[in-house]
Amino acid sequence: MENTGRPPHILTARDAGLVGCTHCGKVHPPSAAVCGRCGAALHARDIANLQKVWAWLIAGMVVYIPANLYPMLSTASLGHTTENTILGGVIELMHHGSYGVAAIVFVASIIIPVAKFIAIAFLGLTTTRRVRMSAHHRHVLFEVVEFIGRWSMIDVFVVAILSSLVRLDFAATITPGIAAISFALSVAFTMMAALSFDERLIWDALEDE
Amino acid sequence: MSDTNEQKPDTGPADLVISPPKRSFWRNLSYVWLVPLAALVVTLFIAWQSWAERGQRIEILFENAAGITADETTLRYRDVEIGIVEDVKFAPDLASVVIGARIDRTVAASLPEDAQFWIVRPEVSASGITGLSTVLSGAYIQAAFDPVPEAKATRFTGLEDTPLILPGMRGTKVTLRTDSGTQLTPGAPIFHQGIEVGKIETPRLTESGEGVMVDAFINAPYDRRLTSAARFWQVSGFSVNIGPSGLNLSIGSIASLVRGGIAFDTVVSGSEPIRSGQVFDLYDDEDTARASVFREEIENPVDLTVEFDESVSGLTAGSSVVYKGVKIGSVSFLGAFIEERNNSQEVVLRSVISIDPQRLGLDAEAPTAEVIAFFANAVKNGLRARLATQSIFSRSLVVELVELPDAAPDTLGIFAETAPLLPSVASDLPDVGATAEGLLQRVNDLPVEELLDQTIATLAAVESLAGDENLRAAPDAFVALLDDARGLIGSPETQALPAELNTAVSELRAVAEQLRQADAVNRLVAALDAAEEAATSVTDVAANIDTATETLPALIADLQALTEKANALEVEQFLAAASAFLEGADRLIDTPDMRALPASLTGALDEAREALAELREGGLIENTNATLASAREAASAVEDATANLPELSRRIEALVAEAERTLSDYGSQSSFNRETISSLREVRAAAEALSKLARAIERNPNSLLFGR
Repeated sequence: MENTGRPPHILTARDAGLVGCTHCGKVHPPSAAVCGRCGAALHARDIANLQKVWAWLIAGMVVYIPANLYPMLSTASLGHTTENTILGGVIELMHHGSYGVAAIVFVASIIIPVAKFIAIAFLGLTTTRRVRMSAHHRHVLFEVVEFIGRWSMIDVFVVAILSSLVRLDFAATITPGIAAISFALSVAFTMMAALSFDERLIWDALEDE
Repeated sequence: MSDTNEQKPDTGPADLVISPPKRSFWRNLSYVWLVPLAALVVTLFIAWQSWAERGQRIEILFENAAGITADETTLRYRDVEIGIVEDVKFAPDLASVVIGARIDRTVAASLPEDAQFWIVRPEVSASGITGLSTVLSGAYIQAAFDPVPEAKATRFTGLEDTPLILPGMRGTKVTLRTDSGTQLTPGAPIFHQGIEVGKIETPRLTESGEGVMVDAFINAPYDRRLTSAARFWQVSGFSVNIGPSGLNLSIGSIASLVRGGIAFDTVVSGSEPIRSGQVFDLYDDEDTARASVFREEIENPVDLTVEFDESVSGLTAGSSVVYKGVKIGSVSFLGAFIEERNNSQEVVLRSVISIDPQRLGLDAEAPTAEVIAFFANAVKNGLRARLATQSIFSRSLVVELVELPDAAPDTLGIFAETAPLLPSVASDLPDVGATAEGLLQRVNDLPVEELLDQTIATLAAVESLAGDENLRAAPDAFVALLDDARGLIGSPETQALPAELNTAVSELRAVAEQLRQADAVNRLVAALDAAEEAATSVTDVAANIDTATETLPALIADLQALTEKANALEVEQFLAAASAFLEGADRLIDTPDMRALPASLTGALDEAREALAELREGGLIENTNATLASAREAASAVEDATANLPELSRRIEALVAEAERTLSDYGSQSSFNRETISSLREVRAAAEALSKLARAIERNPNSLLFGR
């Protein structure tokens, strides 16, 4: 990839008056709507794509608020009910001395989602704006975001497993809170946002110069 | 669309339409935007819902916050959770604890100012254990109130203890008035016909300090039984009452035993319902409570006047008026009046009695005139008033209405200004004291002295009869008779018999001992063994005839000598001696004395029987008891005497057994032996007869007397 930064002129499908399939890479005449090889919908750059990214991102951010304010799970043990939010759980874990687990939960549930929001927002903004970060780095960032998306569900998995396993009635019962659903939605929405993002837009900006 | 724009770079710009951008803003707007919109709506909804559910904050002041934990202790109303304690902090002056709590908005909306809150903890009291569930779940705050819509009080003062009467409980609250509250415990039960229907609160002094007031709460639906005719009285566990009606012991429930209690009952019917807060008197016991009804609550009473000529000591205002034993009214007034009669002034004792027409079976609403007409008619038929004692133990009097058909005809005196006059007759029980005196007089008049004299004379006659000479002689004669019998049994012949037998046995034993010492049998056996040995050796030797021929004669000679030796043993002699001895024994047993013994006993008994028959014929049956006693003494003497008989028979039996053993040692079935054994059997039979006799006498000494 020595041509990152200031690459020589590359003939893209759009320049050639064709539409490339984003799925399998086969190019089609612009009139074609569906990829003849893999059946995916064909479209050249579409400003609506970016709209989708923003829409999913905002949705993810919206549901991320209750995910942090409401209890993730409520533990009922011997008649005493304890409810913990994500951050509250992290603090409690730290009080118990489980710094490692606290760090994992903190990273997976707070840092990564927030970082994802920032990254996707940054990528969305930089498609039309000039930034100092090179297109190549942005592309890497996008790939990281897309990859890491699925790993943000750790919290949700933990809650799902705990609440299905710990059902001892009076002795101990764990029930998922509103935050669990919200968090799961938030992760799903950000993944959708990342999926909707057409990485070609990163390079389009470069071409337009 | 952007594609089409790009496709026509060379055509004229006139074709370009400006409008799309404007349209395109909405057209391009993706449906995906609905997602964040929906997310926003849902989030806002959740936020609104949790805010709505957050509940109303209230503050409750408590003296202390034992068992209260923030975010854990719950608030309950009718045992349903309505909120949770948010924080526990001090009041600014540190004098109390302020507990902040969030409660359900629907509940908070109708929470009145006087709502009561108290902390429920496990509690053990005389009436039971409460709040046991809080041992596990921890204390909680219980709320009790009567819901008032739109009442939104938020500051309350908590109670220290569980209130006895909760707001919102259905029932009626009344106040009881009594002299002392010693038997009243807060929370003591109220019973109605034995069922717990309510509770009392803490007794308090009246404002004047002279009495005690206590609020009582009767639960619905029992409060319907509470009318103006209800009477309350104390039931203090158990009461003992000794009165004219006897001993009366009543025991209430255990709870009332520990805490005391109050009972009420509707004593008369047909009274109006009460309003809440009505004041009732609390009586000391049921009888007082029931009696109080007549004193105060006669509905529509009819007054009658009764004049008495005799003393009315014991009659007071409030005394009962009784008709055929049923209380129908009470004396309401008692006084002396001076009346002009036959031109002279006379003091008349006049009492006014109030009659409850209902008690007489008349309608409670009947007009007075009707009741008076009833009485006028009754008087014509002989209804009279007279004084009577309430009971034989008391001096208090009651006015008794009696029907005396043969009384002098009279009428009910109707006066304008006073109540109608009911004619009276002199009571037939003038004075209890006089009656008692009369009783004593009669006791005094009884011919006690004569009775005693007669008794003494009778006893003397009895004594003289008992002291009669003939009577005394009778037992003596019997004793002599028995002495004879004893002498017979104790005669030297009888006594000597065992000794003789003994010597015979010892002789026998000595012989046997000699035999044993001589070791005759053993030696015989040994000799025979030796002979056998010798015989074996003879056979051995016979095999070697050559060498043996010389020794054979010597051996035979030895054998002969040995046999001679064996023959020389004094077996025959011994046997003869034994035989002689046994014959002696036989003879001894066969002696006439021995034989005569049972016969003589029988003779003696026959004599005794005869003597008894004589006694019986003597016609002294009255004294048979005394005679029997001495006879029994005599019988025991006989018994003592016969006690020797089994001894004797035992000895004989022992002897026989010994002899038999010796003989069996001896062994062979000789005719001598058989003889000996048969003679011994005879001895034993004699001994058995003897012991049987002794046993019979022992078992039934009376047989000596009655011949059975």
